[in-house]
Amino acid sequence: MKAIESKTVLIIHIMKKIKSKILTTLILMVFIISSCDGLLNVDPQQSIDSEIALNTSDNVESVLIGAYDALSDDDLFGGEILYEPDLLADDNVNNEVQWTGTFEEPEQIWRKDIQIENAQVSQTWDAAYNAINLTNTVISALDVVNEDIRGRVEGEARFIRGIIYFNLLKLYGMPYSAGNIGTNLGVPIVTTPTNEINEESEVPRGTVEAGYQQVLNDLETAESLLPETNGIYASSSVAAAILSRVHLQMGNYNLAREAANRVINSGNYSLTSEYADAFNRTSNSSEDIFSIQVSEQDGANSMNLFYASADFGGRGDIIVRPPHIALYEAGDDRLALFYDGSTRTGKWSNQFGNIGVVRLAEMYLTRAEANFRAGPPYVGDDPINDLNTIRGRVNLPFYASPTEFDLDDILLERKLELMFEGHLLHDLKRTQRSVGNISYNSGQILYPIPQREIDVNPNLVQNDYYQQ
Amino acid sequence: MSYKLQFSSILLVLLFFASTGYTQAQTVSGLVTSAENGEPLAGITVILEGTTTGVATDIEGEYNIDLNSDQFQNGVLMFSGVGFIQQSVIINGRSEINVQLETDINLLDEVVVIGFGSQIKEKVTGNISSISASEIEGVPINSLEQAIQGKAAGVFIQTNNGKLGQGIQVRVRGSASVSASNQPLYVIDGTSVTTANLSNTSAATNPLADINPNDIESIDILKDASAAAIYGSRGSNGVVLITTKSGRAGVTQFDANYAVSTSEPAGNKEWLNGDQYLELFDEAFANSSTDGTINGTLFGFTRDGLYDTFIPGWDQGYNTDWQELAYQDNLSHKFDLSASGGDDKTRFRVSGQYNGQEGILIDNTFDRISGRLNLDHTANDKVMIGTNLNVINTINNRLSSDNAFSTPIQLVALPPVQRPYNDDGEPSNQTVYDNGLLFRDGATFETTVFRALGNAFINYEPVENLILRGEFGADVLDQNEERWFGSSVSQFTGAARGAADNRYVRVVNINSQAYANYIKDFAQVHSIDITAGLSTQQVETDVVSVSGIDFPNDFFRQVGSAATIDGGDATVTTYTFTSYFARANYSFDDTYLFPVSGTVDGSSRFGENNRYGFFPSASVGWIISNENFLEDVEQISFLKLRASYGFTGNAEINNFQSRGLYGAGAYGGSSGLSPTQSPNPNLKWETTKQFNVGVDLALFSDRVTAEVDYYNKNTEDLLLNVNVPATTGFTTQTRNVGALENNGFEFVLTTRNFVGEFNWSTTFNFGANQNKITNLDGQVIQGNFVSQAVEGEPIGVFFGREYAGVDPDNGDALYYVHSADGKDYNAGTTNSFNGANRVVIGDPNPDFQGGIGNTFNYKGFDLNIFFQYVYGNDIYNGGGTFQSANADFFDNQTVDQMNRWQNPGDITDVPQARLLGGNGTGESSRYLSDGSYLRLKTVTLGYSLPQSAVDLLSLRSARLYFTGLNILTFTNYDGWDPEVNTDFTASNITLGTDFYAAPQPKTFEIGINIGF
Repeated sequence: MKAIESKTVLIIHIMKKIKSKILTTLILMVFIISSCDGLLNVDPQQSIDSEIALNTSDNVESVLIGAYDALSDDDLFGGEILYEPDLLADDNVNNEVQWTGTFEEPEQIWRKDIQIENAQVSQTWDAAYNAINLTNTVISALDVVNEDIRGRVEGEARFIRGIIYFNLLKLYGMPYSAGNIGTNLGVPIVTTPTNEINEESEVPRGTVEAGYQQVLNDLETAESLLPETNGIYASSSVAAAILSRVHLQMGNYNLAREAANRVINSGNYSLTSEYADAFNRTSNSSEDIFSIQVSEQDGANSMNLFYASADFGGRGDIIVRPPHIALYEAGDDRLALFYDGSTRTGKWSNQFGNIGVVRLAEMYLTRAEANFRAGPPYVGDDPINDLNTIRGRVNLPFYASPTEFDLDDILLERKLELMFEGHLLHDLKRTQRSVGNISYNSGQILYPIPQREIDVNPNLVQNDYYQQ
Repeated sequence: MSYKLQFSSILLVLLFFASTGYTQAQTVSGLVTSAENGEPLAGITVILEGTTTGVATDIEGEYNIDLNSDQFQNGVLMFSGVGFIQQSVIINGRSEINVQLETDINLLDEVVVIGFGSQIKEKVTGNISSISASEIEGVPINSLEQAIQGKAAGVFIQTNNGKLGQGIQVRVRGSASVSASNQPLYVIDGTSVTTANLSNTSAATNPLADINPNDIESIDILKDASAAAIYGSRGSNGVVLITTKSGRAGVTQFDANYAVSTSEPAGNKEWLNGDQYLELFDEAFANSSTDGTINGTLFGFTRDGLYDTFIPGWDQGYNTDWQELAYQDNLSHKFDLSASGGDDKTRFRVSGQYNGQEGILIDNTFDRISGRLNLDHTANDKVMIGTNLNVINTINNRLSSDNAFSTPIQLVALPPVQRPYNDDGEPSNQTVYDNGLLFRDGATFETTVFRALGNAFINYEPVENLILRGEFGADVLDQNEERWFGSSVSQFTGAARGAADNRYVRVVNINSQAYANYIKDFAQVHSIDITAGLSTQQVETDVVSVSGIDFPNDFFRQVGSAATIDGGDATVTTYTFTSYFARANYSFDDTYLFPVSGTVDGSSRFGENNRYGFFPSASVGWIISNENFLEDVEQISFLKLRASYGFTGNAEINNFQSRGLYGAGAYGGSSGLSPTQSPNPNLKWETTKQFNVGVDLALFSDRVTAEVDYYNKNTEDLLLNVNVPATTGFTTQTRNVGALENNGFEFVLTTRNFVGEFNWSTTFNFGANQNKITNLDGQVIQGNFVSQAVEGEPIGVFFGREYAGVDPDNGDALYYVHSADGKDYNAGTTNSFNGANRVVIGDPNPDFQGGIGNTFNYKGFDLNIFFQYVYGNDIYNGGGTFQSANADFFDNQTVDQMNRWQNPGDITDVPQARLLGGNGTGESSRYLSDGSYLRLKTVTLGYSLPQSAVDLLSLRSARLYFTGLNILTFTNYDGWDPEVNTDFTASNITLGTDFYAAPQPKTFEIGINIGF
């Protein structure tokens, strides 16, 4: 600042030396210039400073909405985290689905030939930790949240954090079913918000066990804190539904069936009478437990973008092939949903439709499978009844007796009911079934840790399969 | 176009009022005109040799001088004036002597424009490249930077692609930044103008294309620190000072120019024809199929089944040349009219231009309508006021970015065995990728700019030698981008019943400055020239956009007719600069020069802990040819040594980047907040410390002039978008870390080989620059494709796997495995893409570049031949993974793919063709080439009608000319064009990358200039 003063003094000095008439002129000239320090104080108008963002209860709630927004990113539940595993789950031999588009990243995933620089693998990672940082921010600022809503706010934040860590673990870490959970690597676990970026930000990967512990801790806490219903946002049932999925993945069949049972017994959900009504919704159906909300003005539906034909605003890059169609029994209502000569699934044919994350049908199938595996006494209902609930809705004949089906039938029912909703890969891995001739625990059907992340964090270890 | 009509009628009216005329004189009288353009020259001194008897020409270029009879018979008249070569004429009893004065092309006598003033080039101690109007006029270019290309030593200019109105990269003495802008500051008549990209697509627009090049009097590029430091934190990338033509006192002179031109692509690529395509793809299918033959299956498909699915029509015998379909027949017109004149109180120049350009690519046009008034008025002996005002309208019919199927050049990806049009003449939608021809008919993308650029100034001279100047400048730019996509292109847009969007940007850029200039000579040997003042700049950018889908039919194209509004946005952002500057030039005996300058610069962009920066500079010059000991060396007409050192800054980052910010978002109808940026209150400018040393030399009465410079530019505290672990929730943070340097050598040589009736002069310039990132704090910063910023390497090196050719045994693509330090490939080769490590495989920065021009004049003919060259850079073809991928997918392939490996023992660098086999199709040095080129940039042949013919037509001058642009290109690059940087990824780091980028145009223009 001293330098500026001396310049001003210089100008004034010159001014003094010349006549007052000149002085007037000069002042006029200087007057046209609003040359003051104040000119430099400009504030942004689309953003606010971080201190303001976390100083009231309302603002922290807004950050929570920001976390939902991040969860709905097209790199996460906006689609990528659902259709990419579906591509990875295709065996490329029997070839039930095929990537026909021009984007190289999904093609690599479909071909099981993922390059470590694959941009979508990197974007999913980035988007996931962005959402996690938001939830961490909310959780760290709970003391400014009004007491009456504090539990709900924490529960929602923990739900979002839990479901994201769960999906990261399934994609970037070795499957839980592969054992060695205490040594196999999962993903970095970050539970504090980023206020400063320094060496401590270079977090190493935690073990698979530590990762699942974090997920269970978050989801169980969320279930205990959340209200039974909560509009389009996370409720205790939403947390329980995802919890049942986590336990199933871990092979905790008792806990899985109990969690699924809690959701079914909540009485807040019912299957839609027609299978087709469960999809392409602009508002949640009676069956939806949690869906990503999409509208014309907000959100992105990448499922539609890649599965739907141009008539429905999609690119139609993923096509369904006859070997998949052949899996359905004649008369299955689910068959009727395919279109364009049974090359496309009708589950995704609304550009501005919601993206279902978990729906009631999955709870029946989870309870059926877990009951079947854990055996009697059955929780909630007999597996045959749960299976018939699913089959009946799509006009398939009921099983008359438990001898008519085995575990494979349950898993097939699950596959057909939940196909193209992002389940297949994870179901294959937890049941130790291979993808074509690639073993369930092969690194070839794992994502690499993004190269960009390895480049900036020396503490990260790449998955074995992708080590140079 | 009603504008065109209005404009033409105005021009006709102006033509009607044109007139000429002059009178006779007595004793010795005559007219002094310019040999260059025949214009009368006012203020030329006419002196009788050996006496003090003299007069000056009046505003009409005429003089009368009274002489006695002896003088009348034996005297000699000397005609001299600034900027002209002195001429002596023996009177020999003639009462009328008309003289044509040659322009003094000796650069050293020129006045160059510097920041907040001007200076005699002879006294310049820094490094400034100057380009005059004659080098800009009459060249069929889209934007003025193209006129500088190859003409200023050390200034590297690269157009992204051959589309009109698109971004152009300009690097003055190399890249000085990794994350902040590397483009120079542009100042037009004292106002720093808006040049930033305002596009709503990934392809940048170029606001400089709004400027009419024919209005430019001179372009002065401040390259070293002593020249640029006065611009403080905006000076690191060099400063381009553009001065527009102003009026000259004298008879009102009209100049009209009309030119018509047509263009074709400067280069093309060779693609497979239908037979070759089927041969290669059948083989690729067989190699990938279940049983290794054409009868096997692939992913459950038979060959016919697969082809029917992806390339229907493949068996119909079509043989389409898709590349040809990307281009259009085109014709461009340019019409300029100017009037200039005035008297000793008021001078003016009015000019107008209509420039309607049609590009080589289908649907690509750029129209510019520009009007300018430059006026200055001497109110009394103390006060002068003036204004420069430019009003512009441009209309650019734009194309999609290079990565879109809808961009015309991407048609080449379509197989020759598919047809472009259905039987009904409509573009086919059966092609393997979306047929870009659908886009031609089914979509529009028009960008309209209205721009008012101008300033007003007052010069006040309260006492002798002291001038106070106040200036107020504004650049108000309104841009409207209107896109419409009809139902026929729904596969591009996902909008079955049409989509449209409209985005409106207004940039209000206000400059004001006030400064004092004091010039005084003391005791005959001391002279000082002091400038001090202050300037401010305030720029506000408003953006409003709206988009809609679902239209009743394709006749409705405005968002207002959409059934669903699916997006809308409105934002505003602002930045400001405040500068306090001073400069003092002291010279002793006109021989020893000591300029110093200092600027204190503040910006709203800097963090609260670092609001102001100080940017000083100092330089010295020694004009050795003024010393006694060189007086007798006749060969040396001028010799100067100079050196400078100084600090400049760079603040071209986004606004508010120092703050920790939360932005608004929404989910499920509720508004949300999310962190968008982590705070860095210490954020400040980048600092470049530049040392420059140079020599200016003129030999043989200025027949040969040369400038040699060496510089070293060290940039510290880089404004770096540092990659941070994404586990923080952020991927980058802007910090002041890292350093880079540019070292370079520049050489400029001008020779006048023949002087007289036949004139031949040659100019040559050479600029070598070596860029090196010396410190990135361990970061690897990725660009697109394989471009990266890597410590110890030049910016934007290609960093990827090194292709090792083809395994002769099995046709597998191989990659080198390098030692851990990446230096040697001692670990052999691998056929596993992920198994090969990444190393530096190429460098997009040229080792050296420049131009060489020859100008010939003989009688009425003028010929100018200008070559531009770039040497030592590499080009990475990002499209290679599709175009030259040994039939990996159904894209048409370049013809060299026919050299694929077929049998064990085959030696080739094209791997075995495997459909969907990914054999050698990853990003690697397979797609890297040498990008050096030598180009016949312009050749102009003109003929000026002799005075007798011109008089007969009652004109002042008339010239017909032919100009060719990019006529010949010599290069080893096998893409479309070696001048390339694909638009959608062009950045500081992604340089020299091709991806279906359209070639430069090869243009032929004929035109006529008429003065009256």
